[in-house]
Amino acid sequence: MSRPSTFVVCSLLVVLGTMLGQNPEYRQDPTWRAPDDDARKVNPLANRPGAAAGGKKLFLRNCAECHGDGSGIEKKHSADFQLLVVQEQSDGTIFWKITNGNTGRGMPSFSKLPELERWQLVLYLRTLKPVPSPL
Amino acid sequence: MVSVAQESPYFVTYDHHMEEPGNLDIEVSATTDVPRTGQKYYFAPWMEFEYGVTARWTTELYIEGQTTYGDSTVFTGWRFENRFRPMKREHWINPVLYLEYESLNEASRIQKEISGGGPDITSPNSELRNTPAHELETKLILSSDFHDWNLAENFIVEKNLSRGEGFEFGYAVGFYRPLATMASGSNCRFCGENFSAGVEFYGGLGSTLNFSGRNTGNYVAPVLSWLISDNSTLRFSPGFGLTHESSRVLFRFGYSYEIAGIGSKVSKLFGGKR
Repeated sequence: MSRPSTFVVCSLLVVLGTMLGQNPEYRQDPTWRAPDDDARKVNPLANRPGAAAGGKKLFLRNCAECHGDGSGIEKKHSADFQLLVVQEQSDGTIFWKITNGNTGRGMPSFSKLPELERWQLVLYLRTLKPVPSPL
Repeated sequence: MVSVAQESPYFVTYDHHMEEPGNLDIEVSATTDVPRTGQKYYFAPWMEFEYGVTARWTTELYIEGQTTYGDSTVFTGWRFENRFRPMKREHWINPVLYLEYESLNEASRIQKEISGGGPDITSPNSELRNTPAHELETKLILSSDFHDWNLAENFIVEKNLSRGEGFEFGYAVGFYRPLATMASGSNCRFCGENFSAGVEFYGGLGSTLNFSGRNTGNYVAPVLSWLISDNSTLRFSPGFGLTHESSRVLFRFGYSYEIAGIGSKVSKLFGGKR
């Protein structure tokens, strides 16, 4: 294969990957469970509600693109954090899910954020008003 | 809608953090040097397009060139890179498999990695640009996040398909951490949370024909990144040569801009669902 052809093939692979890389439809993954020890962790910022403002900023930067920003924007079939099914989970569980992601279902790991920033995200999510989960 | 990948400050070392799925990161970077006696000053820019295909697969396309002072400006080729993360969850050590095809010529100077003895920085471009270098490069990337520090080790094996140079080896090791570990509520740009700093070490380890750290380029390089807006990052790194085959100093700088959700927009063009 000539070099220009190889270049074209590689470029097409990028475009194809772009199309295939989308999360088709969001449904709760029953296998995505935090280990018990992690689920029991307590938010070290629980007594610092002011830190939620930083959590909101991080949320808008890192999460809102998929999960929405609360203003009714279109989502990529990701969980709405106001749903009871999310809000009923423990702080430790949400922290674990942010840290590890669910990479098989399109949710990336956010372990690159410092630990306290991930706890700030959890703190902010707790400020969202819960709404009943759809049937 | 803003979205940001908190870019690592590394230029050479890879960690296990992948591009967010559906996001496109466009980066313009350059490598330039302070030459030793007998070497020439050069400026080697490159552009990269990094796309998160899935949460565990990132693909990149590079285009590169270089200008050598008192010589000429040449296009030095392109690279197509893929990184796969085999494990679903975070572990103490997170492996990533890296595979790259390079269609370059020997005038390439960006030194995105150093393998074998490093690039030829003494021969004229007229000679080097006519020497093709079709290469396959693999890396084993091991990376850990520990108390807000990232530590990453890369082991490089490269094979030039154009010539019988044997298999060439290289390494890169780095660590960094953000300067602040909590986000403020304001949109400050000079807060510590927007900066990450660390150090990386990289160099060649010879080849199967001459496996040795001798006669290879090796560097120690402080690295710094600054999140200048919600979706763009500046990075800078001066790399100090540790061996006579290294340049005295390699300066690297880069600007990256992330476009969130471009994958779904392209998908919609072809009738896909968001």
